[in-house]
Amino acid sequence: MSSFMPHALHKTALILFPAFDWCISPNHPEREERLLYTRDQLIEEGLEDVENILFFNPELATFHDINRVHLSVPSAEKLLTESHLISAGGTLRAARAVMEKEAEKAFAIVRPPGHHAMQTVFGDRGFCVINIEAIMVEYIRRHYGVRKIAIVDTDCHHGDGTQDIFYNDPDTLFISLHQDGRTLYPGSGFLHESGGPAAEGYTINLPLPPNTCDEGFDMVMERVVMPILDEFEPELIINSAGQDNHYTDPITNMNFTAQGYARLNRLLNPDICVLEGGYSIEGALPYTNLGIILAMAGMDFSQVREPDYDPSRFTQPPEMTKYIEALCSKALGVFAGRGSRRAEAQQRRIVTNQKNIFYDTTGFHVQERTSYHLCPKCPGYSEIKATGHNRHIHAYTVPFNACRGCQGEAKDMFQKGKPESGTIIALQDRIEDIYETK
Amino acid sequence: MIIGIDVGGTHADGVLLDGDTLVAKHKVSVAQQHLSDVIITLLQHLVPGDRSTLQRIHLSSTLCTNAIVTGALDPVGMLLQAGPGMNPDFFAKSCPTWFLDGAIDHRGQILRDPDPGKIDAAALAMRREGINSIGIVTKFSHRNNRHEQQVAAQLVGRFAHVSLGHRISGLPNFPRRVYSTWLNAALASQFSLFKNALEEGLAHLGITCPCHVLKADGGTIPFSRACEFPCESVHSGPSASVMGCLALAAQTDDAILLDIGGTTTDIALLVDGAPLLEPYGVNVAGRPTLIRALKTTSIGLGGDSRVAWHNGTFRIGPERQGTSMAEGGTAPTPTDAMVVLGKLAVGSQQQAAMAMLALCPKESPEYTATLLLESFVEHIRLAVEAMIEEVFARPVYTVAALLHRRRIQPKRIVAIGGPAAALQSFLGQALFLPCTVPANYEVANAIGAARARLTVQASLYADTGDGRLSIPELSCLETISSRYSMPDAEKRLKGAVSMMVAEMGMKSCPEIDFLERLEMNVVRGFATSGKILTLKAQIRPGLTTI
Repeated sequence: MSSFMPHALHKTALILFPAFDWCISPNHPEREERLLYTRDQLIEEGLEDVENILFFNPELATFHDINRVHLSVPSAEKLLTESHLISAGGTLRAARAVMEKEAEKAFAIVRPPGHHAMQTVFGDRGFCVINIEAIMVEYIRRHYGVRKIAIVDTDCHHGDGTQDIFYNDPDTLFISLHQDGRTLYPGSGFLHESGGPAAEGYTINLPLPPNTCDEGFDMVMERVVMPILDEFEPELIINSAGQDNHYTDPITNMNFTAQGYARLNRLLNPDICVLEGGYSIEGALPYTNLGIILAMAGMDFSQVREPDYDPSRFTQPPEMTKYIEALCSKALGVFAGRGSRRAEAQQRRIVTNQKNIFYDTTGFHVQERTSYHLCPKCPGYSEIKATGHNRHIHAYTVPFNACRGCQGEAKDMFQKGKPESGTIIALQDRIEDIYETK
Repeated sequence: MIIGIDVGGTHADGVLLDGDTLVAKHKVSVAQQHLSDVIITLLQHLVPGDRSTLQRIHLSSTLCTNAIVTGALDPVGMLLQAGPGMNPDFFAKSCPTWFLDGAIDHRGQILRDPDPGKIDAAALAMRREGINSIGIVTKFSHRNNRHEQQVAAQLVGRFAHVSLGHRISGLPNFPRRVYSTWLNAALASQFSLFKNALEEGLAHLGITCPCHVLKADGGTIPFSRACEFPCESVHSGPSASVMGCLALAAQTDDAILLDIGGTTTDIALLVDGAPLLEPYGVNVAGRPTLIRALKTTSIGLGGDSRVAWHNGTFRIGPERQGTSMAEGGTAPTPTDAMVVLGKLAVGSQQQAAMAMLALCPKESPEYTATLLLESFVEHIRLAVEAMIEEVFARPVYTVAALLHRRRIQPKRIVAIGGPAAALQSFLGQALFLPCTVPANYEVANAIGAARARLTVQASLYADTGDGRLSIPELSCLETISSRYSMPDAEKRLKGAVSMMVAEMGMKSCPEIDFLERLEMNVVRGFATSGKILTLKAQIRPGLTTI
């Protein structure tokens, strides 16, 4: 705008949509007020007038965008409100800004979040119904032909939904930094969860001990995340930028700071950030969001500090540092050993996993059985049978990177499937970009 | 009767109106050094014999623009409290700046008071630098003005002029508040000189009626208030033009207003007949401000723009090279095309034809002229479209607002300015809209100034959890009960606006609009601990009812 306003080194698009008229319930952490103070801080800072920072409204994602990723029971139309389509649409707008070079980087500061939403969706879990990052990733692949994508999830909770969706995809590197699942929802995200049979080593979990400080986060970033990213060479880096590792967050137990979040993003240098959790709405979010934005934009964030910030309060005990050091080595080992058991799995042709998924918001369980139909030429297709709430789905998913043979086989299987009452039979073909049910 | 005066870059117009009837008009050329002389000269020609019939004088002047161009701004020192956030060093590029410690947060809670020692040291340094006009701004002062007031109280009597950020605007945006405050402080002595010269002239003419100043938002304020807030007088030219269009051709639907001049075309939009405002404020001297303004876009395209034929298309403007060839100039212009087509009777028809031949030697002048004017209005069409898109893309923050956004759908064009009549049919065809060119449009700006009415705005922020209410425009900070509600807020703010109107000497208060109502429960733990209420009230820009 003028030489009297600061200038962002990297042109950065912000999709700031606080949805002041939407909540899960009035006293829920995911309520109208959540981004009020963030909005107030960002506007008062004058970011709208900073040269090279652009503000965009979200668009509405379509059900087609949702069905490319999710298997919704009974259907996306029945499960979702406009707020979900807007939140997902916010990430699509961010993706479009970057892919069409309106901006170098984009940050979707939207709600509700999405990283606990798995491929099958029966309702709301962990404040999430649909996985807004995953919807964005498949949208980018569909519309812009991008193959290798890295998602680094820096929310305090394990990104179990994102992990689930890309578990068997060797073209999606998923790294989650989170508070150890033995101490926090959703109780998963351990080192041994390292990817499906065709993508072993492409899911990296870093369960950090409670009270991990900036020092611990810096360590995993420098020792694990950055070297793995360098080796994986993604075409795009996405940060699931949850901000509940903050020392003031009411529902977690970590000691991360606004400076820490900003530093992490400067190092990670993501193309797109998507807000996930973060419920210290007054003492953290205005500062963490601002710190992340300034870091993305390549601007000075040295003066972004929480009012009660006192660095002396957050020194990490040496034994914790040691523990994290060991964790780093093990995680590097997981990535180094990637693909080592693939041939063995291949011989079994079909590898089946079982899991029980808990939907905490309304409180019910889903039993799910995933069979990976493996192929020497591609990651293969997967067959998913899930049951919950007395509803069943039996679906075939063809990933974007499947071979023609696997695509054809999945289609045959779908066509042979006999419609039964109470069961949805679905074909999700990401190559042809179709979603069919019967 | 009301006199409206619009001082432009090269000439000044004045009108005397009786209701909406034009009684007299007069034009003089302008020597910008003596703005008050220009105005007095116009008044001599316009003032009615019976002075008692003159109700008010409304002035739109270039005082601020001149002060900026001629470097006549006061040296200003800024005292800023930036708190946590973006590195504030960039402010020092604008003028000498001293940073205070302490901070206020986004809810208006005081985190730490500023150190009085630092304030004194800054004041001493400013005095040493010969600064006599200062601005004091803290981040979030629209939520809590206590620190700005504290600093001002500590420095009372030490500077000739002190501007406080929260008094200028109740809107958020710290950099804009800083620059608005700077501008206000920088204009202080120029405005006061202007006021003295003008008052002397008025007394000489025996004029005793109140004098109002036109603002960028299409409204007026009394001279007395403009002395306190001289920054409000900036950028009044475009608003005079918009209000003039409204006065000459009132609309009830969405519409496009065009003021086509020699070098530029100004575009404004009407939504349901009312002029659209900027979300924050106008840019002045390269700085974004919170000075409320009508949304206008100026493009470098006018009757005297230089035209070149380049790669099969016309390059029109943005620069001009004297007048049209028809009037003795050296470069082809759109005016030449208008002359060739017989739509404008100025200068030499033959020279105009030469201009067209100079552009496209192989085509007939009529053909080239038609093509040129089509290209001219096409530029306008694209600029209008971009403007409508920009307005549509303004950030919204609620699901309801996002789903119910309405794109402006103009039903008519109202065009004024020298080339307007000649372009009427071209505009209509290019934009598929009826195009009106009202009579008396040559004095539209002066009529606009005359017909504009008082505008006022105020904003309220109430936090029932903290038991605090702020109306920054009034420096008001009060205690409220935990049961304070939106109806209470509306009543309070309505009272505030009515009071401001009365203070400005108006007997009746026009309708007050409430905008941007936001009511938010503050939940701490799992219980509601209070409510945050925000509300804005305004008297929207409009015409005096007759």
